[in-house]
Amino acid sequence: MTLTLEAAPQLIRVRPLLRVTGLHKRYGQTQAVRGVSFELYPGEVLGIVGESGSGKSTVLRLLNLEETPDGGRFELGETPDVFALTRQERRAVQVHQIGIVYQNPHLGLRLRSSASGNIAERLLSAGERRYGALREAASTSLAASEFPLARMDDPPLVLSGGMQQRVQLAKATALSPRLLLLDEPTTGLDVSVQARVLDTLRTMQRAHQVSMIVVSHDLGVIRTLADRVLVMRGGLVVERGLSDQVLDDPQHPYTQELVHAKL
Amino acid sequence: MSTLADLAAPRADYTFAFLDEHAKREVRRSLLKAVCIPGYQVPYASREVPMARGWGTGGLQVTLSVIGERDTLKVTDQGADDSVNAVNIRRFVARMTGVVTTTDTLEATLIQSRHRIPEERLREGQILILQVPLPDPFSYLEPSRSKARELHADSDYALLWLRLYEDLTRRGEVMTGADHPVSVHGHYVMAPSPIPRFDVPKLHQAPHLTLLSAGREKKLYAVPPYTDVQPLAFTDVPFQIERQEGWVCAQSGVSGGFMTELPLPGGGARYVLSDTGLLDKLVRARRGEAVTVGETYTELGPEASP
Amino acid sequence: MAYVAARGGEAAIQAAEALALRHLAEVSADQIAWVEAHLSLLVDRVMGEASLYAPRLAALALVQSGGELEGAVLLLRAYRSTQPRIQAAQPVTDASMTSLRRVSAAFKDIPGGQHLGATLDYSHRMLRLDLLDQGRSALPAVSVAQTPAPAHAESVSLWLRREGLLPQLPDLAGEVVFDVTREPLTFPAPRAARLQSLARAETGGVLALGYANMVGYSGVHPTVGEVRLAQAEVTLRHPVSGELFSAGRVRVSRGEIVAPTPEGASASGGAQGSLSLGCCAALGWNETKLIAGGVLDLAMDQPQAHPALQEEFVLNHTESVEASGFCLHFKLPHYVTFASELDRVRAERTRNAQPDIAAFEPPEVSV
Repeated sequence: MTLTLEAAPQLIRVRPLLRVTGLHKRYGQTQAVRGVSFELYPGEVLGIVGESGSGKSTVLRLLNLEETPDGGRFELGETPDVFALTRQERRAVQVHQIGIVYQNPHLGLRLRSSASGNIAERLLSAGERRYGALREAASTSLAASEFPLARMDDPPLVLSGGMQQRVQLAKATALSPRLLLLDEPTTGLDVSVQARVLDTLRTMQRAHQVSMIVVSHDLGVIRTLADRVLVMRGGLVVERGLSDQVLDDPQHPYTQELVHAKL
Repeated sequence: MSTLADLAAPRADYTFAFLDEHAKREVRRSLLKAVCIPGYQVPYASREVPMARGWGTGGLQVTLSVIGERDTLKVTDQGADDSVNAVNIRRFVARMTGVVTTTDTLEATLIQSRHRIPEERLREGQILILQVPLPDPFSYLEPSRSKARELHADSDYALLWLRLYEDLTRRGEVMTGADHPVSVHGHYVMAPSPIPRFDVPKLHQAPHLTLLSAGREKKLYAVPPYTDVQPLAFTDVPFQIERQEGWVCAQSGVSGGFMTELPLPGGGARYVLSDTGLLDKLVRARRGEAVTVGETYTELGPEASP
Repeated sequence: MAYVAARGGEAAIQAAEALALRHLAEVSADQIAWVEAHLSLLVDRVMGEASLYAPRLAALALVQSGGELEGAVLLLRAYRSTQPRIQAAQPVTDASMTSLRRVSAAFKDIPGGQHLGATLDYSHRMLRLDLLDQGRSALPAVSVAQTPAPAHAESVSLWLRREGLLPQLPDLAGEVVFDVTREPLTFPAPRAARLQSLARAETGGVLALGYANMVGYSGVHPTVGEVRLAQAEVTLRHPVSGELFSAGRVRVSRGEIVAPTPEGASASGGAQGSLSLGCCAALGWNETKLIAGGVLDLAMDQPQAHPALQEEFVLNHTESVEASGFCLHFKLPHYVTFASELDRVRAERTRNAQPDIAAFEPPEVSV
């Protein structure tokens, strides 16, 4: 009798959507990010916490390709290293694959253009040339961000902070990016507004399985949104793990301090 | 006995076409580059010429750099050959070169113009030189020129399109008057100079060479013959030229050319063709003189009694 | 007369020019010489902004333009365009210029000495109304100093460099200097282009922007290291023999402004713990330009410079001929462009008269 080797089973391997390795960024004498590495899986929400100066927002700006790193690789989807692409290719990645919501709406929006125009600009960058299609996409995207459509042609300048964040969110998601970056998306908003915006974010995330990285100093935001969390301090990741695990049972003294300060 | 004065070259105060040869060469080199990269704004040094900046010094430097003794020059401003500024430029170039000047588009080999393209079709071999105040279509949208250069390099024109979107959304109309941005052969978007929208289609696949030059901003650019030139417009919102339906030229009786509106005392207006070279020929033809009127870009309506 | 007369454009502009010339009255060579001698600082300003050192021609330009300053600068610059360049003179150094006035605000005394020279800085600004009646001012007596001030003095910046307070200058020997009159200016501008543009810039514009900095629109607190008025030798190389020789002297002035290097500053600055130098030099004597220009040179390197103090903004908008020309060109006929605008306004008005179609409705599009 011959020995039959058992056939190797077909394993489901989920490749990460994003893999960042050895990210470095220096400003003058300051080493803002020191060798940060992490992965993000499709549909996952990764939180990055830390106080101001920890390097968490720098990481986000690097991922949004607003600045060039001093070292590191950024694998996104099929692209082995986004940092190594040409300027034009990077721009295409930025337009089609990445969306960002900033704490300060003036970084993400043209405050004097109409809200719908802000979304339209995103589509125009991607080559849409039909006015009707722009209108439709803008209203669809604004509606998904739970923005009142009656105000879609008002400029963000006259909108409330919460509304401005919804416009940013609609703009960021208009082209269904693979990666959504949120930089303190609800900081500075009233508590009740903050809760509603977080609610919208969670609804959208669940509905579309958007892969997100959310940066915040607010552990409440992280707990609400994130599956996993990185804790950053002085440009380094000092602790990482599942959100519940890290926030309920912090190991690193700095995380313990953060969590207790919150409580 | 020969004196030093005998040996020296006879006194000459200014060179042919005013600019020194080095300067002309530099402009021509830049022009060649501009022709090779249609719609791309080529920086050039831009010398001071004896006219105020913003008064056509860019166009003038191009004219002075490409003009030869056998050229025939036409200069217009707002379509008029006898507008004060056109007269002044023509007078200067004629004085510094001795070339023949004309008001007839058909006779001209070089046409320097401010804000208009003639109504009679230009042909191969003719050069149209447009004076440009603001060469960058981003002028009022992105004030930093270095930033605007990056946007051009990336062919990132979303901002220009956004302006059309905003106009349509907030005002119901695209509000660009003259100088409507055009896409040149599918890459660069350029400012066609403040020609009326009526003139923009004349640039598309034109057999003549168009050179555009901004002296103050020190940029020149070109539309070579047979190049695609498309005004920016949404595919579902057609580009509109000025509405002049029913406007009839009070002097020639024709309609269909670009008209200038002349207010009448007490209200109302009358209209005359803005292209005075053509107007002059039409008026002479009416009087029975033998004149050749070329084929026009737009069909001129039937004559009515003015 | 219509603005664009049927055939009268040519006659009109000639008549208008004739009338203007009559208003300026007759001019003689003596009067032009008088302007050169008596309005020397004005002549200096025209030469500096035109970047052509020719006092008699600058005086002529002033007379010809009726004293309109930008007009005179344009006349001189246009003339400059026609002049071939024979060669670049040797660089003017501390040793090759004869200093006639040199003051420093940074130190009570400086090597070579504070040297007031000729200045109206400490005169009482009172109109000499008596001159209107008597018609002649008496020249005051001037006494010769016992020990003359040294003709050549090292700049204060050199002392600061020796002390390690300013970074060393790069060695530029053999380098071809950028020339803003021959090459287009793009940004960030080469250092030479910036300094040349400042030298040519409209003094009023430099003052306005420099003043904005001084009163707090950027973080530079300037100290005048040195302001110097001098005569400089124009040293050329003989085209045949190769010998250096002086072709004459020109009036030049230079200002050095110092300030602590701010965090993150570029270009003119050094590392932290040192000073930065703002420099402005001009053909002719123009102290306002030197100080305001030197301050701007520093301000432009500030990492967080106010938008109106950034290099591109400053250099593009203080260009006398361009700014004044563009401003005045709005007098030219614009009736074609205005017609296009009117067309849009009328279209918008028609639309607004029908409120139910106030927003654009795109036609059905098949995708």
